[in-house]
Amino acid sequence: MKFLAMCSTGLGSSFMVRMNIEEVLAELGVGGVEVDHSDIGSASAASADVFFVARDLAETAEGLGDVVVLNSIIDREELREAVKDAAVRKGLL
Amino acid sequence: MTTSTTKLSDLLPEGKIRFSADRLGWREAVREVAAPLLDAGDITPDYVDAMIESIEAGGTYINLGFGIALAHARPERGAVRTAISMLRLTEPAPLLDQPEHAVDLYFCFAAADATAHTLAMASLARLLSDPGTREALRAARSAADVTQLIHEFEESK
Repeated sequence: MKFLAMCSTGLGSSFMVRMNIEEVLAELGVGGVEVDHSDIGSASAASADVFFVARDLAETAEGLGDVVVLNSIIDREELREAVKDAAVRKGLL
Repeated sequence: MTTSTTKLSDLLPEGKIRFSADRLGWREAVREVAAPLLDAGDITPDYVDAMIESIEAGGTYINLGFGIALAHARPERGAVRTAISMLRLTEPAPLLDQPEHAVDLYFCFAAADATAHTLAMASLARLLSDPGTREALRAARSAADVTQLIHEFEESK
């Protein structure tokens, strides 16, 4: 199982989201998920099982598969719910 | 490795934190927040242009939410040393003049290499993702307030 945080450059915001996803997964006690970050240009549907992007990349990410759109990449509460939902969808919770 | 510190209190010292009551456009805000890093030689003028170009190209992803934006460009565009600066505006300067990207707390982020970039970004992400600290940061009214709350956050970890 792989969760992938993406942003335009693969440098800044995707890394922030990745870190926060890892922390939320640990809090939820969900194991066995590989979390990575990348630029959206190099991601394909095969890159991950769940993709996380900020609002501005929602359209670009369409077609990748299971895409989660975040309103704020530093809103831990929003992310917690999103990660929890994704974990449930994937049968991890 | 050209730098080893990843402590925010080292990367974002009091002298690189500014407050302004001026009404600025987003380009002016980016130039203003970058000024302390430019003055210190942490970045080159090209880095400032690169940040603006990136936003012009639609790069509103630097809007982190909660009125906070993290202006940055690729290290090879002129990041000399890993450093962070901050500009708190009284009046928001919306990115690309779009109301949904109203930003009144700008950070400028420069990283000398990929490793430093990752570590420094992690430090900043921890601080900004902590709801209590984020609120305190938005409520801060002086550079001394900001450095104080960064110290408190680091000591609480």
